[in-house]
Amino acid sequence: MLRHLFTLIWNRKRANLLLISEVFFSFVVLFGVGAVLITAAKNYLAPHGFNYEQVWRLEVRAGQNLKMPRAELDDVLRQVKALPGVRTVALTSGNTPFIFNTNNSVFEYEGKKSPQANVYDADDHYGEAMQLHLREGRWFAPSDDGSNHRPVVISQDLRESMFGNGPALGKIFTWENPGKGPAKPEDEFLVTGVVDAVRMESDFSAAIPSVWKRLIPYDTTHWETANVLVRVAPGSGGELQEKIARTVAGVTRQWTSQVRVMDNERLHRRLYTLVPVVGLCIMGLFLIINVALGLFGVLWYNISQRRAEIGLRRAMGATGAGIGWQFLGEMMVVTTFGVLLGTLLAAQFPLLNAFDLPAQPYLLAIGAAAAAVYFITALCAWQPSRLAAAIQPAVALREE
Amino acid sequence: MLLSYLKIAWKVLMRRKFFTFISLFGVSFTLMILLVVMAMFDHLVGPGAPAKRIDRMLFVNTIRHEMVDNHGWMNMPASIHFVDDYVRKMKTPELVGISSGISNATAFTKSKLLPLDVAYTDGNFWQIMDFDFLGGRAFSKAEVQQAQRVCVINEATARSYFGSTDVVGRPIEIDLKRYRVAGVVRNVSAARIYAYADVWLPYTLSANYFKDNRLNGEFLPVLLAPSAAAVPAMREEYRQMMRRVEIPNPKEVKAVFSYADPILASFTRALLNHQDQTVDDDNIGAFYLIVGGLALLFMLLPALNLVNLNVTRILERSGEIGVRKAFGATGGNLVGQFLVENVVLALVGGLLGLGLAAGALALVNEAHPVAYAHFVLSWRVFGWGMLLTFIFGLMSGVYPAWKMSRLNPVAALRGSGDQK
Repeated sequence: MLRHLFTLIWNRKRANLLLISEVFFSFVVLFGVGAVLITAAKNYLAPHGFNYEQVWRLEVRAGQNLKMPRAELDDVLRQVKALPGVRTVALTSGNTPFIFNTNNSVFEYEGKKSPQANVYDADDHYGEAMQLHLREGRWFAPSDDGSNHRPVVISQDLRESMFGNGPALGKIFTWENPGKGPAKPEDEFLVTGVVDAVRMESDFSAAIPSVWKRLIPYDTTHWETANVLVRVAPGSGGELQEKIARTVAGVTRQWTSQVRVMDNERLHRRLYTLVPVVGLCIMGLFLIINVALGLFGVLWYNISQRRAEIGLRRAMGATGAGIGWQFLGEMMVVTTFGVLLGTLLAAQFPLLNAFDLPAQPYLLAIGAAAAAVYFITALCAWQPSRLAAAIQPAVALREE
Repeated sequence: MLLSYLKIAWKVLMRRKFFTFISLFGVSFTLMILLVVMAMFDHLVGPGAPAKRIDRMLFVNTIRHEMVDNHGWMNMPASIHFVDDYVRKMKTPELVGISSGISNATAFTKSKLLPLDVAYTDGNFWQIMDFDFLGGRAFSKAEVQQAQRVCVINEATARSYFGSTDVVGRPIEIDLKRYRVAGVVRNVSAARIYAYADVWLPYTLSANYFKDNRLNGEFLPVLLAPSAAAVPAMREEYRQMMRRVEIPNPKEVKAVFSYADPILASFTRALLNHQDQTVDDDNIGAFYLIVGGLALLFMLLPALNLVNLNVTRILERSGEIGVRKAFGATGGNLVGQFLVENVVLALVGGLLGLGLAAGALALVNEAHPVAYAHFVLSWRVFGWGMLLTFIFGLMSGVYPAWKMSRLNPVAALRGSGDQK
């Protein structure tokens, strides 16, 4: 039976070649859209690893050609913390979550290199403000003041890539290529805690290994910009935002400040993924509808061209259902050729490790695209096949 | 001859409504999507308020510093020192203006926080760009030099801060500092990145107005040529000028590179950057190649679909083809006829697509994906759309037409549809 189908397809190879190429391109489009959707959905469903609700970002900037002495900055933070409605205040670096600002680096432990990791500065209250989930050890505390090395907290995914299953707490790692001469104590990182993996880029991004370096309190550095995370009581609004801004201005008129709600920044950031993905889906959907209509038309037409053949087969004793299955089967074989070609192309993505993504979403996308293509062609072939099955041999043969 | 082809085309379209619908659906939706994308592209780089004379403008995005000993690159916009001592001394530009990138600021209104995008500009900027003033005027060169606390705000800011647009001369408090409103302009789309802001302030008030001789800062120079024809000369003079730039810190910086580009080239240079950043190539050719390739690829599937349909439908007309061939029509005649038919179909679909694109853009404008952006179909986009339709019609017509012309008249007349 299958052999017979192949012969039939071979006899009409020119027309079928066009159909196969159409199926092939449809498969490629569905694979591309599917891979994007599956990756985005998988990331979206994973936990963020921190709590972005009721967190505000306070940015304090020194004026023209000015810098902020740390002591004065600490004074500002104390006053902000004393405001009613403010729960916690934490000083950090400029790469706060959901904004287009990243700072990454590669680290090394006993010759083993880490993947690109996000590097954050964090003070002793950061863990509490962001509600990071500790798996091992503890967050920084004033007792770290005496530490000879820079205390750091790392994320679980970084721990796995650098320390594997061995212990991580108390270990010391460094930057990649630490350079010549003895390492400075602030360039040697002492692991004090491990937290869950975090996704701080956007709702649709994958977790990125992260390192939080402790900001030493009461140092003598001068800052041009300070970024502060403020956890507030639920229901706080514009009134408190203005109070915070006026508190900062109250300390020195030279400085300016901004208060932004982290949840709003999250919603804003995710538009940058959502808009292109939705656009891609609309395009994909339109192409597939287009192909489906076209296939339907071609098959329908083919049936009316092959009435004589059908009539002959019916006269020779083939059942209506048998004819229907023959046409459906032919289409399935044509689809299989297209899908095989498409899979050959799509398989290159996981094989070549394209875009540095894991293989699993690609494989899922190949499966989903194949299933969708089979479904669509079966749907388009079903009605024409039924028509073919309904042809009466006497009528068809008389026409001949 | 053409008239009778057109008549036949119309008859064929009307004969099988379902197939006509499938073909038109494919053509019109393909074009709709291409037109929407082109309208957005045109909005980004085409002329339009306030950059109405964009064909006479050159933009400078970054100054690339190549560090010594392969310590990498530092790419930042220009400093005031660089603008004043080099760019403003050029001879070909009619005007040199500057604006900074957008920075964030806050204003408070009745206990509501109003996030604002602030840009710092000089006086010339207002003469290069043609803003629509609803009231008042731009700040002048003198006001900029004296660092007066004046500002120009857009309509949306005026409405949410004051509740009306008739606010010239009133004070506004931004980042808890008071400014006097000098003018109110119509909203500028955030997609016009060289002109967009909510509030414009004199650059002398910027925190990044450094008075030393560093080259990197936060300012984006805009050069206006006296005519579009003078643009290449201006570009060349900028290139020459860059050779004379003195590096203030030669111990750290080996060389500096910077280019003045027309708007599209300024994007493509940054977007399709070479690995080796010393190469002077604005990548505009590569950009057109990539975009053209993608558009063709996108049209390929609907075209293939149409080819499939057309090849199948030739058989329906075997009788007609047989008669014409028997009466001496050559293959070329038939190919011409079929191509005309297909192009007519594509043009009808193209017009439909134009209508659909207008509707889709209305929906997109309703959703406000980009602040204050209003996408419209211009005549240019329309022309491009028609050209694309034409290409599409040819793409999907050539193979079926060739196939039709090879039909054997005897077999065709017998009506068996045998294509040997």
